[in-house]
Amino acid sequence: MPPPAAQSPAALTIRADTWDARRASGWLESAALAQNVPLEQIVRLDHCLDETLANVIRHGGPTALSSPVHLQFGVRRSPGACTAELSVSDAGVAFDPSKFVAVAPHPASLADATPGGLGLLLIRNFSDQLSYNHSQGRNHLTITVRWVEES
Amino acid sequence: MAIRFEDQNEDLRRIVLSGRLDTAGSEEIARQFAELTRSSKGVVVYLSEVKFLSSMAISMLVKGAKAVEAMGGRLALHVAENEVIIRTLEATGVNELIPTFEDAQHAEKAVLK
Repeated sequence: MPPPAAQSPAALTIRADTWDARRASGWLESAALAQNVPLEQIVRLDHCLDETLANVIRHGGPTALSSPVHLQFGVRRSPGACTAELSVSDAGVAFDPSKFVAVAPHPASLADATPGGLGLLLIRNFSDQLSYNHSQGRNHLTITVRWVEES
Repeated sequence: MAIRFEDQNEDLRRIVLSGRLDTAGSEEIARQFAELTRSSKGVVVYLSEVKFLSSMAISMLVKGAKAVEAMGGRLALHVAENEVIIRTLEATGVNELIPTFEDAQHAEKAVLK
């Protein structure tokens, strides 16, 4: 069986701030559309990207805010299955979102609701797989979505 | 993103949000939204024109609903058939905390005393 066909990944380096996060969203959409990723999958990745960058900005600490964030996006296609991977590398406090996905159940009432943790819930819900490692002082998170392409 | 509102009468306030409520967009409107939800009126937040709902936007909605309740009012969400927004609300369970309607009339009826 031939290996999955992979196109050259797209890459972008941004600052860790909300305005560059929006720029990253535009970059992601363009890169994904260029590789014929369905809109539904782009929306999923877009949510994951926004929430991941928001976490870096809010919780990554001073080093995260003063260091560049590296993004990479690529698509692999094989018969019956397609995969898009978005990688985010930041220099913030070590944090593995994949370890925090089994967060507390939904609050029972509005009074019990707290604002924290919603971003991680969204990342989990909109992704099919999260892979994380920490090396050379940087977090490396890869967000994967999969879909079946109609022939 | 944009935020606008109208007071239908003494009992009902409509807040219409539109565009992309990502983290940056939510930060832009959070203060005005908080001011508009310091109200004892029934409040319906229209999300049908929203293209993207971040966790920060959802937190803003939850805080708003709590503020309205604290003043003795009620807040509901109108989502029409906006599948992206419905899925996002369902993922966080917020649709079970704040009454959420596809039909605008039902949403307004739900917040009127």
